[in-house]
Amino acid sequence: MSSDALKKRKSKVLRTEGGTPEVKRGRGDADPQDVRVYNEEVELDSKDPAQDYAQYKESCESLAKLMSEIQELKASGAKEGSTEVEQKRMQSCILFMNLKKLNRLAHMRLKRGRDQTHEAKQKVDVLHLQLQNLLYEVMHLQKEISKCLEFKSKHEEINLVSEEEFYQDAPTEISRPQHTKNDPHQLTLARLDWELEQRKRLAEKYKDSQATKEKIQKSIEVKKEHLRSLQPGLNAIMQASLPVQEYLSMPFEQTQKQAEVARHLPPPLYVLFVQANAYSQACDKNLSVSINGDVDEAKALSKPPDDSQDDESDSDAEEEQEKTKRRRPTTGGQLDDKRREMIKRHPLSLCVDLKCKDGSTLHLFFYYLMNLNIMTVKTKVSTSTDLSMAISAGELLKSDTLLSCLYSSDQGRETPNPANRYQFDKVGIVSFADYVEDLGYPYMWVQNLGGLHFPGETSEGMLVGSSLSASHMESTMKLLRGRVQSRLALHKQFASLEHSIVPISSECQNLFPAKIISRLTRWTTISHQEFMDLPYTRHVTDAGLSKETDLYFMGVIERGTARLHAAVVLSPRYPEISPLFSVSLNWKGECSGRTDDNLRAIESEVNVFKNELQGPRPGHQLLTNQIARLCVCLDVYLETEGQDDSVEGPREFPREKMCLRTVRGPNRLKPFKYNHPQGFFSHR
Amino acid sequence: MEPVELLHMSVFSQSFSPCGRFLAAGNSYGEIGLFSLAAALSPDATAANQKPVLTFTAHKGPVFSLLSNDCVLLSAGNGEISAWSWTELTKKNVKPLWTKRPNYKSGLEIPEINSMVLNPQDNSLVVGAGDNNVHVLDLEHGVFKTVLQGHTDYVHCVCVREREAELLSGSEDGAVRMWDSRTGQCVHCIEVYKYESCARPQYGKWISCVTTDSDWMLCGGGPSLSLWHLRSLSPTSMFPLSGCQRQAAFHQDKILAVGEGAFVSHCLLGGEVKAQIPCTPSSLNTLQLNSNSSEHRVLTVGGSSSHVDVFTNLSYRAFSLSF
Repeated sequence: MSSDALKKRKSKVLRTEGGTPEVKRGRGDADPQDVRVYNEEVELDSKDPAQDYAQYKESCESLAKLMSEIQELKASGAKEGSTEVEQKRMQSCILFMNLKKLNRLAHMRLKRGRDQTHEAKQKVDVLHLQLQNLLYEVMHLQKEISKCLEFKSKHEEINLVSEEEFYQDAPTEISRPQHTKNDPHQLTLARLDWELEQRKRLAEKYKDSQATKEKIQKSIEVKKEHLRSLQPGLNAIMQASLPVQEYLSMPFEQTQKQAEVARHLPPPLYVLFVQANAYSQACDKNLSVSINGDVDEAKALSKPPDDSQDDESDSDAEEEQEKTKRRRPTTGGQLDDKRREMIKRHPLSLCVDLKCKDGSTLHLFFYYLMNLNIMTVKTKVSTSTDLSMAISAGELLKSDTLLSCLYSSDQGRETPNPANRYQFDKVGIVSFADYVEDLGYPYMWVQNLGGLHFPGETSEGMLVGSSLSASHMESTMKLLRGRVQSRLALHKQFASLEHSIVPISSECQNLFPAKIISRLTRWTTISHQEFMDLPYTRHVTDAGLSKETDLYFMGVIERGTARLHAAVVLSPRYPEISPLFSVSLNWKGECSGRTDDNLRAIESEVNVFKNELQGPRPGHQLLTNQIARLCVCLDVYLETEGQDDSVEGPREFPREKMCLRTVRGPNRLKPFKYNHPQGFFSHR
Repeated sequence: MEPVELLHMSVFSQSFSPCGRFLAAGNSYGEIGLFSLAAALSPDATAANQKPVLTFTAHKGPVFSLLSNDCVLLSAGNGEISAWSWTELTKKNVKPLWTKRPNYKSGLEIPEINSMVLNPQDNSLVVGAGDNNVHVLDLEHGVFKTVLQGHTDYVHCVCVREREAELLSGSEDGAVRMWDSRTGQCVHCIEVYKYESCARPQYGKWISCVTTDSDWMLCGGGPSLSLWHLRSLSPTSMFPLSGCQRQAAFHQDKILAVGEGAFVSHCLLGGEVKAQIPCTPSSLNTLQLNSNSSEHRVLTVGGSSSHVDVFTNLSYRAFSLSF
């Protein structure tokens, strides 16, 4: 029974173990339990752990001893529930209780130990934090100190007078030698003071000077005003003197004015101006020179070169800016501008008027291309009489052919300055020939007149400057005059040729028989290409006698059913170089100078024996005489053709010309040479 | 010389020097140009070698005929005959040895001399002239000994038939006359244009070339070029060449002929035209084979141009000499 109760108690104890560790003692009365717990805590303080440990050992030994006694009892056959055993059990229970208490104490002691450790650790942490703060503060202060040490004062940049000078010049109240001699800081301060003092004084001086300068300027202004007020008065006097000058025929004013303007001419035009004036005064009263163009612009150009350059670059920059504003500039546009700049003319030009005897005038306009350093010329011809418009003569007085080849092979289509080639390459100008229409023609003789000399393939000696111009002036003027007269003569002749009249002057009457039956029926101009395409001009082209610069014409001479085509090459240097005829006859089939020896003889009659046809000097009637000779030769050719008497019927061309023999020589040529007074035809 | 004059120049006559190294050519301006064949034919010849080494004005009119014997060059122009020493010419000394003029009757115009040929039998020069006559100049004595009269128009060409002592002349009047060189009598007269096989009325009747080889004669001009058998006086073959022929020559078994047209015609005796070799001038006046020197054996032709074409091989033009 008692074991059951124990079991029950045990189970009870087990159940309430966590909450009330002293359930066994507090059975019956629960009230003093708190006191006991408190006691236990207090007990813990008072007890020594080592003592507890000894007690624990002791309890364990006695428990083990009791257990073994119980076992012995049991083994000796003691009954279950005998008092001895029961007693022993009671004792061991007490020992258990004791062990339990010891266990509890140990736990509590452990807990307390832990709490103490934790507290101590927190304290250490706080202290550590403090230490770190202090270290950081130290570092910051050190930085500040080094910054201060590195500071530089502005006064070090100021250039001060040297120390000796300072002591010499500065007053003692500034220099204070007793303080400064030993203290470099004070010394520096003193020197800075002195510097300030000096600067103040200089500023004062500067202000004074400015004031005097202004004063002087004002006085200059006043004087200038006075001088300017004199100008109108002087002008009035000059104006008033003009009638007197005119009356005395002393054109001071005009020449002076011209000379004034001439000062702004570029050097080549100036050379030409001077030389042309000199030539006109000395040799040729019919030559006059004048200056055209915008003088102000020229003045602007002849300013000191550095100024103008600045202007240019500025304006260039502005232009470019403008462009970028408008749109991104295309390279083409830029090149165009550059090209335009390159071929710019000087604003002043020279006009030389050459009067001929018959009242016609050749106007020559000379220009100077500043950037290319070459001169160009344009021409105009004005005549006293109205020129009847001949269609074929259109080319004759045109600017581009009028002066072509004045000197041999001087076509004026390419620039004579070799340097220009490179300039053109830069801006992409292929050939100067594209621009001559606008700019004028850069003939070699123009450069020579302006004293410009370019070494070329054909240069002989170097001539420089105005002597060069002078040496060319006379011959060139003569050539120019001759050229104009020959062109005007041709112009007149063409007008009548187009009306199928071959004009023959009285001086040349004896070159031809009285009766010429063949008639010129057509006179037209043809192009170089058309000329080359003709089948009967091949030999002329092959011999290099037809050039691009030449003029080409086609004449048709008719008699009856026969029709003679004559292709004519007219050199721009006519009459110095005579026209060249190539003929083709359309009569009973086609034949030409290539296939028929007689037609070849006719060609050589007009081309080779031209000296007989020259007429009065300088030979302006050569062309018309040649055409007339061609008509005569055609007459002879047709009349002497078909001599065979066996052919019946009337001839188309009855023999009217008197011929000694109709054929002669191995190639049976007809008599084409006319003998004047007797009036018969013979062979050469 | 100016280019225009060159353009209208014609070459009328040629003659090789006795040594065969030079060629003299006469042009329409009365000039004779001396070309050095030796230089022009050398392997390293340049364009300068094709120009004359010497050009001089021999006569006033065109030089229609040139002829060389073993020491002199005879030139005919404007009615007179001049002789030039070859040795002097090669030294560039230009001075005629003599100048002679046949006795002409007509006055107004000086008759030209169209053709000359040497008659080695009696060392005389036979001259076909513009006064319708053939004059014979005795080179031994330097006088004109006979005048052969009979043609009614001017004489184009003359040739000598050595074996028979006969002279032949072709004339503008259309006849070929054969003369006895000893008596000066006309032996035969062939009027070629009257033979239907030869006649070409569209051209005319004149005879501008005559040449002989033993019993054979070549003649042509207005009538077509034809080969005649002289013993029977009959035409044996006709050559179908267009245009008028101005000079023809027997060469080996062929006949070479030049005239209107820019080519040299090669014909076989039978009458076929074997080849026509093109050349520079548009029509040709003269053809000459150099037989004087074996190294410079060439054919040269000249005509209505300032060029003289040289054929080293008969079948093509090698190069041109030019004034």
